[in-house]
Amino acid sequence: MATTSQNTDWQGRYYHIDQILDRPGPRTDPAFLAGDGVKDFLRNQAKILVIGAGGLGCEILANLALTGFKDIHVIDMDTIDISNLNRQFLFRPKDVGKPKATVAAEFIMNRVPGVKVTPYFGKIQDKDDDYYMQFNLVICGLDSVEARRWINATLVNLVDPENPESLKPLIDGGTEGFKGQARVILPTITSCYECSLDMLNKPTAFPICTIANTPRLPEHCIEWASVLEWPRVQGDKKLDTDDPEHIGWLYSVAVARAKEFNIEGVTWSLTQGVVKNIIPAIASTNAIIAAACCNEAFKIATSSAAYLNNYFMLIGTEGIYSYTFEHEKREDCPVCGGESLELSVSSDLTVEQLIELLVEKQDIQIKKPSLSTPTSQIYLQAPPQLEEATRPNLTKKVSELVPPDGEVTVTASTLPFSLSLRIQYT
Amino acid sequence: MYSLWATTGQSALENAHILVIPGSATSTSILKNLVLPGVGKFTILDNRKVTPEDAGNNFFLEGPSSIGKSRAEETVRLLGELNESVTGIADTSSVAKLLETDPSYFTSFTLVIAHNLDPTLLDKLSTLLWSDDSYPPLVVVRSAGFVAEFFIQFHELAIIETHSETAPSLRIDKAFPALLDHALSLDFANMDPTEHGHVPYVVILVRALEDWKNAHEGKPPQTSAEKKAFKESILAMKIKMDEENFDEAESQAYRASAVTGVPSEIAALLQDPRLGSLIPSSPPFYHLLAALQKFTLEPPHTLPLTSTLPDMKADTNSYIHLQKLYKTRAEEEKARFKSYVTVPIDDALIDSFVKNAHALKVLRGKKWGALDTDHETLTNALASAPKQTAIHLSLSALSSLAVKRPGVAPDVEALTAEAEALLPPGSVLPDEFPDAVGEVARAPTADLPNTAALLGGLVAQEVIKVITKQYVPIGSYCTVDLVETWTGVI
Ligand SMILES: [Zn+2]
Repeated sequence: MATTSQNTDWQGRYYHIDQILDRPGPRTDPAFLAGDGVKDFLRNQAKILVIGAGGLGCEILANLALTGFKDIHVIDMDTIDISNLNRQFLFRPKDVGKPKATVAAEFIMNRVPGVKVTPYFGKIQDKDDDYYMQFNLVICGLDSVEARRWINATLVNLVDPENPESLKPLIDGGTEGFKGQARVILPTITSCYECSLDMLNKPTAFPICTIANTPRLPEHCIEWASVLEWPRVQGDKKLDTDDPEHIGWLYSVAVARAKEFNIEGVTWSLTQGVVKNIIPAIASTNAIIAAACCNEAFKIATSSAAYLNNYFMLIGTEGIYSYTFEHEKREDCPVCGGESLELSVSSDLTVEQLIELLVEKQDIQIKKPSLSTPTSQIYLQAPPQLEEATRPNLTKKVSELVPPDGEVTVTASTLPFSLSLRIQYT
Repeated sequence: MYSLWATTGQSALENAHILVIPGSATSTSILKNLVLPGVGKFTILDNRKVTPEDAGNNFFLEGPSSIGKSRAEETVRLLGELNESVTGIADTSSVAKLLETDPSYFTSFTLVIAHNLDPTLLDKLSTLLWSDDSYPPLVVVRSAGFVAEFFIQFHELAIIETHSETAPSLRIDKAFPALLDHALSLDFANMDPTEHGHVPYVVILVRALEDWKNAHEGKPPQTSAEKKAFKESILAMKIKMDEENFDEAESQAYRASAVTGVPSEIAALLQDPRLGSLIPSSPPFYHLLAALQKFTLEPPHTLPLTSTLPDMKADTNSYIHLQKLYKTRAEEEKARFKSYVTVPIDDALIDSFVKNAHALKVLRGKKWGALDTDHETLTNALASAPKQTAIHLSLSALSSLAVKRPGVAPDVEALTAEAEALLPPGSVLPDEFPDAVGEVARAPTADLPNTAALLGGLVAQEVIKVITKQYVPIGSYCTVDLVETWTGVI
């Protein structure tokens, strides 16, 4: 046994957990080796990465530490905001402005003796494959779709069939109000994050013409302020939805607009809700989902019980409704499927229209895609000189540039991989 | 704060005082999720000292340095750090003694939560809190390793703000006079084309329905052939192919054939015999129901009109005009409703009641343990929810064995025998029982951190619903299996 545990463990410390680790249950895999071996692995060898130290992340870190994981790493690029304190329970008013990962790590190490939490204040994209290779498991508690797609694609690409150690289970949790989900992804084996992208709710987008010409709801006035007036008046200044001054500006512009059209109901909180496009996260749902994620991590790390196969969904508005099911792998998943995505389009479709079509497609969700064939560039969004050079193609028909059954490669800055399309004409 | 339960819910939460027994890992996990959103006060009742075992699995203890100190005091101190506006009270009295000498102690709280409480004490506590319907609800939580359940004991819970996703009727079929006049006043044939493409679908439907009725002896479209013809008549009103407002009207055409009445669940509430014998001190909710009953007896025999119009294809002016028509009429109907209210009631409560009249809910609860003695319900539960009932029976068996053989580690055989003794005559244990009881026997006294955290979220969420009287809490048992990762109600 490593010296750290000898120094900090006390008689009885793992009384509760050891009831599970000292003997199998009726549904435990026969390969489970109860006793000292599994305890040593959990407490002295397992290395786990937590992505996100926000609402879910705080809960995840506390649960992992209490269950006996002692080598925990955490990545988060945010600093603590005063509005986080009502659910991110490792932070106190004195911590406002400090990095979440650092403060959370210190809190856990003070509270749970002998646990080492290594924080990284930065982006997951800063780290390379070698970094991710060192972990046995990754738990993700993020609210960003983009970051989850990146880590999912990274872990799928990490899999080397020759090396079983390269398969890193990814446990992903997410919440929205009283709803949430937890899932286990075995990269290349089970359905991945990308496979289920179409299950995400499409954010309500109001048509620009409604916003500009026929507003009816307070939301339309708020969208007018943020989508049209902000860029017009503020120029290149980036809208920061966490900045109360920015929200205040949008609120006053929206109120004026609403007054002009006799529309009632523009409030500060509605403004914030619309521009952040969020349903507020609450402590209790975060607790449920984080607990479900950590329980899967514990079961996978110890084999003490079967793990979730593979999706747990919770809806808590009317009673408690939950649904556990196996989400199916998508054969044409651009990340784990290996097959290219079939797309059937009209032979009159222009390149510009194809781009619009791709941007609106719920199952791929990209912004500003660049297109190329194996032999030529169709349209590139950047750099400016290539954009200019390929711009004339926008008005051309796709069928002039790509043969039937031809392949188009789609890349985008929001996409951590390239997507392969096979085009058919109708 | 941008909250899911609005200021009314928040102030209910801030005025609540919750009692939690004892200071276990599950208890503190529940409390954490009540302290963070700002529950007013909480008390932890626990006369034990922190053991080394407690210090290993409770995040609201400070490891070895808490060992030997009062568990109530340590957990209250560390929970208190989460939110300065919350008052935490550590009570080191004995539950048994208080039940004996001062039962009114327990009835003074807003709500009581008990985790893995000694079965004999739990029995006394639940009987006490059930003995009067003004006494606080009791949340009973039991867990062992990967399996758990909880139950809310309450007499009755009347919920106005259910946050239902069902929209109230727009009363297309019973258009109020101003709406009907407006729909009939429009000259569709000579209208400016832009205006024509922006008439809200509600107005189109009212007009189309009126025209249809005039041609069909005053009857709305009823048979499927008629409904189809009605839809076609709407599309025939188009002057340009791309008029989305007419497409919307066609897709909403079913509203014209549906008869707006009192929804059946609300009608059932209005049958409550208590409405006939109200006294001024009866709960305001029942006085409001009585007013609603009177309201629905008058034509047009509907609930009060909603003042919230959903968004629809329209230009600003025509939408705002329609919205005003609905608002004015809704105000008139609310005034009529108010005239039926016979006791003084806060305006905000009346407004909320009228606004949510289509989604009111009254839950009737049961006493803790009633399922185990009610053979018919238990038989039904075994058939309809076998794996959930298996968990409940396993935990009940654990409780009864703890009374019979205190201090002896339970084994699968003994637990199974106890569970069989709980069954109604002629019933057998469900096929899922061995899986559940096996986990209970594996870890009978384990308060696992992840199970505790999951229960902490689930229980806190239901407690918030009960306290704020918003959303709909569970009416019965919620069981949890963290081997297969599911929750299910019985
Ligand atoms: Zn995939």
